[in-house]
Amino acid sequence: MPDGYDEVFAEPGRPREHAVALAAALAELGPDALSNAGRMRDSIFMQQGITFDAGGPDADGPVRDRPFPLDLIPRIIPAAEWTDIKRGLAQRIRALNAFVDDVYHAREIVHAGIVPWELIVSRSAFARAAHGIRPPGGVYCHVSGCDLVRDADGSWKVLEDNVRTPSGISYVLENRVAMTRVLPGLFSSYRVRPVDHYPALLRGALTEVAPTTADEDATVVVWTPGPFNSAYFEHAFLARQMGVELVEASDLVVRDATCYIRTTNGLQRVHAIYRRIDDAFMDPLEFRPDSLLGVPGLMRAYRAGTVAIVNAVGTGVADDKAVYPHVPEMIRFYLNEEPILQNVQTYLMADADERHAALARLGELVVKPVDESGGKGVFIGPTASDQQIAIQADEIRRRPERWIAQELVRLSTCPTASPEGELVARHVDLRPFAVFGEDIHIVPGGLTRVALREGSMIVNSSQGGGSKDTWVLEDDAGETTRAAAPAAAWSPPELPGLRQGGEWSGQQQQQQQT
Amino acid sequence: MHFAIRYLTEYRYREPVTDNLNALRVKPATTPCQRVDDFAVRVEPETRLTQHLDYYGTTVIEFGISKPHEQLAIDVRARVVTTPAAPPPEADWEPAVTAEYAAHGGEYLLAFGAEPDDIAIDELVGLSRAATPAATLQAVTELIPDRFEYRPGVTYVGSTVEDLLTAGAGVCQDFAHLALVLLRRHGVAARYVSGYLFAPPAGDEGADSAEVDTHAWIEALIPAAEGEPVWVAADPTNRGLAGERHVKIGHGRHYSDVPPIKGVYRGGATAELEASVRMTRTDTASRTAPAAG
Repeated sequence: MPDGYDEVFAEPGRPREHAVALAAALAELGPDALSNAGRMRDSIFMQQGITFDAGGPDADGPVRDRPFPLDLIPRIIPAAEWTDIKRGLAQRIRALNAFVDDVYHAREIVHAGIVPWELIVSRSAFARAAHGIRPPGGVYCHVSGCDLVRDADGSWKVLEDNVRTPSGISYVLENRVAMTRVLPGLFSSYRVRPVDHYPALLRGALTEVAPTTADEDATVVVWTPGPFNSAYFEHAFLARQMGVELVEASDLVVRDATCYIRTTNGLQRVHAIYRRIDDAFMDPLEFRPDSLLGVPGLMRAYRAGTVAIVNAVGTGVADDKAVYPHVPEMIRFYLNEEPILQNVQTYLMADADERHAALARLGELVVKPVDESGGKGVFIGPTASDQQIAIQADEIRRRPERWIAQELVRLSTCPTASPEGELVARHVDLRPFAVFGEDIHIVPGGLTRVALREGSMIVNSSQGGGSKDTWVLEDDAGETTRAAAPAAAWSPPELPGLRQGGEWSGQQQQQQQT
Repeated sequence: MHFAIRYLTEYRYREPVTDNLNALRVKPATTPCQRVDDFAVRVEPETRLTQHLDYYGTTVIEFGISKPHEQLAIDVRARVVTTPAAPPPEADWEPAVTAEYAAHGGEYLLAFGAEPDDIAIDELVGLSRAATPAATLQAVTELIPDRFEYRPGVTYVGSTVEDLLTAGAGVCQDFAHLALVLLRRHGVAARYVSGYLFAPPAGDEGADSAEVDTHAWIEALIPAAEGEPVWVAADPTNRGLAGERHVKIGHGRHYSDVPPIKGVYRGGATAELEASVRMTRTDTASRTAPAAG
């Protein structure tokens, strides 16, 4: 057992109270049965097309599908612990949302001297086109997936915020379904809170923020960049689960500041767009003029308040890694509360004092680029060679504003099945998914990601990570599971047939100034 | 000076196109030394125009034409009165390194994207450093036309400062971009200005009317010995401060923040563009058309 916190074993051979039944069930099952269950899982996933692009660290490589690696040992979170996590996350998301609103309006947090203006305007995700636009209900961060880790002392910390287009919820749902098929026996000693109401929560939030008139039903769509996107499976999954249309840019058109979907019966008004596409590719008239991927005029419709864009435009300014160190102060400033979940100690390399201190002990720290996600470009001091440390130090000196350094969090471990069915300790994190419509709802648990290589702390699925079904237990007080999830009671509406849209011209109408 | 401005843009498409959406930043700004008396935009085919102010305070006029069409005409007319700006304040470098100055300068002090890491830039920065920020602004506006040839056709709308350095020649947009890089390197906040410049052709300087193009220059934030710093307009294409002949539309960090016309359309056809800007003095004695008032 490595030193650090293990999710199941308090010490070797002695499971924590909530995990006693799980440890017993696994011991009874034995390695052979576990290994067989693994093969059954793989064939189910391949058959259903639940795969992940394993292009590797340089995401530009060819798309290679493999079954999404679900580890069969669940990760269990007791009810009381989940209550704290949930409160802490809801608090943090409210603060991040208030920050986004502030950034694009009065910038009170700047005037108060808490966040420097240079930091805000120099973020690559700062969206000038969103300036002054307040979406319905003042909600910007409708869907968030902040990454939590458990430190060696057992405390939960926020490693990263994610309020752009966080992905992974489809695996949460599919993992649960697969687990109940492959290893139903494991559930027999536990009352596990369901997760399958997520699509209904998301659809509910989209409907709540959709600017409809009194007698109108909201038309909601999921906007995907297309089948070549690594999360396309999830886009299609969510659209299907919510019973809404999955669209690409060419299916949408803006006429007179209103957004429409092109159907075989003509144009149909769209009220809310769950977009899984970056700001930069949404509207070539406002953002990148070289991009023809977007929907020209969409920002005009957004500005006019005729369509809700989820998440709102410009939220990326709040989850930037150089903004992250300020989140605890945001919570105090906007909510007048003390943060429930703590940050990992973080140093801005743009700050000369912090940089000097960090460079002197780079071998102990984790270094991350401020504007990347998905574990790209992350440097882990303790596992780096002297040469790698020197190269990283040069990079930091060359462009200090591009980097932050963090204390290494010794991620907790969780028993994980090896291909032979043996239990081995592997590091895990947790990405819970929150949906913010009229209120904040957090799906119990979330995506537990696991680093499948021994000792590794990189859990990103693009870098060889796997996942686990995450069980939040029902309250001991005996509160029963909600019998009917809202999803069950709701039937998808009939969908309009999509008509293929014409291509946008590559000709940009621009004039050079001479 | 009083000007009547007519900015006419015509696109012809080889085949019908649809959903032609455009954003125009063509309306002269209202500033302490510029007044707009009249402004109108007409688009053919006819369509509804909407208007808003962008992040930088520039008026943006937007429209879309959904029906198939083979021609698009954008006809902009404005009547503007300009007055000379006050002479720039004189102060040494000290007030330019204060927190108050940085608060005024804001993001116009920051590099825009990846700026060229080029020894040629370092050299130009060294050559243009003068005793005061105002003198440095003057030096920049003289150094650029000294070093670079004004020659249309060498660069294009998306050209970078590096392209200008490589080619050794460019147009006003490129000159303005280079001036911004140099001034920001000096710690002087500087912004890109888009507008119209009344510039009759050589040999006919006294003309009342001239065929021109949209023009680009810059504004630099010059500190004052007392009181707030002042944005001073300068034209690196014309070697000096901008004056009454410059009619400002708006400003930004870079061309891409204030393009006069930006548009996309649906359809495979290529477009032929014809654009013209005519500026006419309406306050000169030789004016012959009284009805024009």
